[in-house]
Amino acid sequence: MLKSLFRLKGFVTPYRWRLGSGILAFGVARFFEALVPMLLAIGIDRIAAGNLDLLLPVAGIFAAVVGRFTVVSVARYLVRSSGIRVSFDLRQALFDALQHQGSSFFNRYTIGDMMTRAVADIALVQRLIAMGTILLVILVYATLIGFGFMLYLSPSLTLLLLPPLPFVFFYARWASHQMAVASKDVQDRMSDLADHVQENLSGIRTIQAMVQEDHEIARFLGTNQAYSNAFYQQARINSLMAAWMPTLAAVCSITIIGYGGYLVMEGELSAGQLVAFLMYVNMVVQPFRVAGFVISLFQRAAVASDRLFEVLSLHPEITDAPTGDAPSLIRGNIEIRNLSFTYPGYETPALSEIDLDIRQGERISIMGRVGSGKTTLLRQLVRLLDTPPGTVFIDGVDVTHYPLSQLRSQVALVPQDPFLFGEPLKSNLTYDDPNRALDQIWAAATSADLKETIEDFPEQLDTVVGERGVTLSGGQKQRATLARGLIRQAPVLVLDDCFSSVDTETEEHILSELSRLRRNQTTLLVSHRVSTARHSDRILIMDGGRIVEEGTHEELIRRGGLYAELERIQREGADETDYDFLGAPG
Amino acid sequence: MAESSARARRRDYSMFDAELSGAVLNLSLLRRLLRWMKPYRVTFGVSAILILLASTLQVLQPVIISVVVIDHIIRQETETLAPDLGMVELNDYLSGLLDVHPLLAACLLFAIVYIGWAVTGHAHRMTLISSVINGLRDLRQDLFRHLETRPSSFYDRVAVGRVMTRVTNDVEALYELLRGIGTLIGEFVPFFVALTIMLAIDVHLTLILLLVLPVMGSVTYFFRQATRQLFRLVRMSVSSLNQYMQENLAGLQVVQLSDRQAENLSRYTSINEENRRWELKSARLETLYGAFTDSMAHIALGVIIWYGGGEMVQGNMSLGGVILFTRFIDMLFHPIVVLGEQTNILFRAMASGERIFQALDWDEKIHEPSDPVTLPERLRGEVRFEHLDFGYDEDVRILHDVTFTIEPGEKLAIVGPTGSGKSTMIRLLGRFYDFDDGQIFLDGIDLNRIHTRDLRRRIGVVLQDFHIFSGTIYENIALGDPRITREMAIEAARRVNAHGFISTLPKGYDTELSERGQNLSQGQRQLLAFARVLAADPEILVLDEATASIDTETELLIQDALRKLTEGRTSILIAHRLQTIQEASRVLVLQNGRVEELGTHEELLAAGGLYHTLHSLQFQSEREQTD
Repeated sequence: MLKSLFRLKGFVTPYRWRLGSGILAFGVARFFEALVPMLLAIGIDRIAAGNLDLLLPVAGIFAAVVGRFTVVSVARYLVRSSGIRVSFDLRQALFDALQHQGSSFFNRYTIGDMMTRAVADIALVQRLIAMGTILLVILVYATLIGFGFMLYLSPSLTLLLLPPLPFVFFYARWASHQMAVASKDVQDRMSDLADHVQENLSGIRTIQAMVQEDHEIARFLGTNQAYSNAFYQQARINSLMAAWMPTLAAVCSITIIGYGGYLVMEGELSAGQLVAFLMYVNMVVQPFRVAGFVISLFQRAAVASDRLFEVLSLHPEITDAPTGDAPSLIRGNIEIRNLSFTYPGYETPALSEIDLDIRQGERISIMGRVGSGKTTLLRQLVRLLDTPPGTVFIDGVDVTHYPLSQLRSQVALVPQDPFLFGEPLKSNLTYDDPNRALDQIWAAATSADLKETIEDFPEQLDTVVGERGVTLSGGQKQRATLARGLIRQAPVLVLDDCFSSVDTETEEHILSELSRLRRNQTTLLVSHRVSTARHSDRILIMDGGRIVEEGTHEELIRRGGLYAELERIQREGADETDYDFLGAPG
Repeated sequence: MAESSARARRRDYSMFDAELSGAVLNLSLLRRLLRWMKPYRVTFGVSAILILLASTLQVLQPVIISVVVIDHIIRQETETLAPDLGMVELNDYLSGLLDVHPLLAACLLFAIVYIGWAVTGHAHRMTLISSVINGLRDLRQDLFRHLETRPSSFYDRVAVGRVMTRVTNDVEALYELLRGIGTLIGEFVPFFVALTIMLAIDVHLTLILLLVLPVMGSVTYFFRQATRQLFRLVRMSVSSLNQYMQENLAGLQVVQLSDRQAENLSRYTSINEENRRWELKSARLETLYGAFTDSMAHIALGVIIWYGGGEMVQGNMSLGGVILFTRFIDMLFHPIVVLGEQTNILFRAMASGERIFQALDWDEKIHEPSDPVTLPERLRGEVRFEHLDFGYDEDVRILHDVTFTIEPGEKLAIVGPTGSGKSTMIRLLGRFYDFDDGQIFLDGIDLNRIHTRDLRRRIGVVLQDFHIFSGTIYENIALGDPRITREMAIEAARRVNAHGFISTLPKGYDTELSERGQNLSQGQRQLLAFARVLAADPEILVLDEATASIDTETELLIQDALRKLTEGRTSILIAHRLQTIQEASRVLVLQNGRVEELGTHEELLAAGGLYHTLHSLQFQSEREQTD
């Protein structure tokens, strides 16, 4: 556990003076606090003796209060602000580290997992520093100072109070574990409940169409009851804690009543000191109660720290090491030599021995079934994957020799998944360069057949898209991402199945626009539709990570292979034998 | 009926964002809430009695120490100046009965009182919480039932996310509210018991101490005012932090392709800095306030000594009385701190309560016939639209005088441009909306005379985005219908080509599907939806064909499945694919809500009308290949 926490050292070091002086100040504050019962005892004893010279105790108490107030506010702030600053730095580091990860990272981790690290794990570290340190310091100081004063008042009574203390600690630890389990259960049941409601409301039309309302209401009662039960269980544990936690303080009180009372009657202790004892016991027992909690804070922060450093210690997946021999402007000749690629953790290669030459200005269509390697091939061109050196060349220069930013801006890849940011359309279209001119934006939107869509929105280019704004249809999203690619007027344009939700008519329209715009520029596009591919200069058919057919539409039809078969099916529709041909399970 | 449905359609749900009254205590709201607590009022009453008992026992503990031990036993005061609530007598009795030293008896008495306090306190909390939990469970169930049965017209206007939070977060806030009230009761009842005893000991000292309360109260108030705003800023900055990171991760590929890493990091930094600024500011305030409340209690100790000393010398107070005051300080001040902590919760909970009751007041519904027709065991499946006019809003008509008949077993394809009213037509057939201008007949029975429940069992609907329930694949096919056995479900899946992919899943038909079926591809979900309809075997099939193109393999499976599904079944298909249209027995062309043309594919092509134009536009490329 300590080893894991030690990894945080680098993040805490900048604030060591702040944190250290905060911790020190806490000791001073505890001392002021411990003075109060002492002064109270003096006051009570003077009253008991009929001595009305109360200035010392009363003024002393006031002074102690002011001293404590000042020191504690400063100390707490110093410690808490250290926590806040550390978590700020952690967030920065995490964000930076994540931005340089690639697909193999996201194969291993989900976004949800990363968000948990960014939110919950950093919060745990912050809590450890802000709260755990304070509690630990209080625990140590209160015990030392409290016992110091008690020993001074009456060693024998103090020793008699010691035995139950370990029990407080163990009970507190056990109880805080129980509470953690119960509250986890409540959270789980709550998220079940939220899922259930979410699922029902988003599928409400289906539910009503299928007359499933009663069934769903009955099912919800189960989820609802399960949550209630978990909540009750948690309340029960909390209530039991609240009832039995003070037991040990009560045992101490009884000891003080019995033995302390006896000492007072014997004249070895004063009544005021008896009251002071009762206060010191509280001061000492209180931190013990939270000891379990402190331990769990440390444990959880250790786990959190491990999880954070798992990400923070990762190296960027793709190294950007330009050699300087790359031309500053790409013309668009692509050569691929014997390219094989296997995703980390997989056995079968996604690409095997690909050899390909694309000349500047060519339009290439790539077809093939799901998983045949189309997307993997395209990603190699812009090094979204770790392209092996000596396999992919652009204008005769190895892609790994190009600066990443140049490669990716001059080879514009429009990915399959039409992702838009929850920002105005304008910012989405000019994502790579927010300073683009307005007419450039409209030109790209027009080419992507998005102009009229934008004009239909009251806010036009300032329309915010996504959850917090206008929800676009699948086709609109694809056209918007397409426009985002086109606006760059890159020498090489790579479209990864960007027309799947666009109707054929629009697609035809966009494609003819593209041929006009991109004369002498290289274009690669993946598609499922023969109608999209047929007008290309060349069509590649991929299967099992290899290019199995290559040629023009006419050549491939004549050849009578996979492409010809696809063309026939899309033209005529399928018959029984096609299922055998496609190996589709019936 | 015409009027009321029109009114319902006109209703504005913009009040989702409307400012709620925001009062800390909204009595009419609490009264309404109490209705759900009513069945559990006995438990609630028991809980109230228990808290009185527990509070008394709590107060007795310092009384034993101060009055019994210090005054009576140690100082041997004969006349008790402080009320002892019979503890002195009880202690003497115990000591006599057991023949032990009074100090030992006091120990025993203390132990008994302590145990009594622990037990009654626990019992109080548990009775309170159980009545609350049960009441809120019922409320949540009623709310869910209410929402589950709202019609489509309702869901057209509201965002699901917002409705959802009423069932989850808002009800949750009520738990917090009631828990908060429980905490306050647990603080304030002992406060009043202690206050009573303090007043009985020394009115003046008590009043002086009470002067501290307004000070604490107002400091607490100002602190809460200041922090409420700050906390909101902290929360907002945290959520923008999360949102930015989440979005950046989701779109990381685009970020990297656009070379935006540096720019995004600096944007994130500014959000992060903003968050740090508010966090530090609220830390500054909180540390001051925390130190302040502790100090007040200590200052009060000084006051007690100073004033109590004088009173004692004058014989108005005993030493035990003075000590008792010092022991009561926490009970006196702590409730104010807790009240401060709870106000934010109370605020939020009141707003939540308003939102919940607002949701329960949405009463839009589909009108059911007062005397519904009993449908025969099996319908023939004839559907007839007669002069149907309809609009979601009164002034915008979507359908105009729609009249046509579908023969039993016929396959009708509906085509038309976006917004022509295709989806509206099938929604009305399922009676998801009330309509009163024109009629629809099913086997000659007026749709408005059939209960929607009976009607919808006879119509199988496959929408574009078909909903997948979390549960196993089998459960998703059978949908809780006990008549559909596992064998039947498998058979249905086999017929619609879904068996293939299902059997490749590790657990086959017992595979758990995640929320919204994310572990299935779009094509697979479509096939599963087909299996579901086939298993239910409705007389009429309604399909809104998916527009997105899927890979050729799956496309083939879907077309084949569709053929089997429509076999011998009256089918209405909103068609987007040429093949679907060509296989239909007739095509209905809809434009601007009017039936423009109706006939077979060949007839309409030959007629050279709207269909011809649409066809040549929409299926140009596909036609190219057929030529």
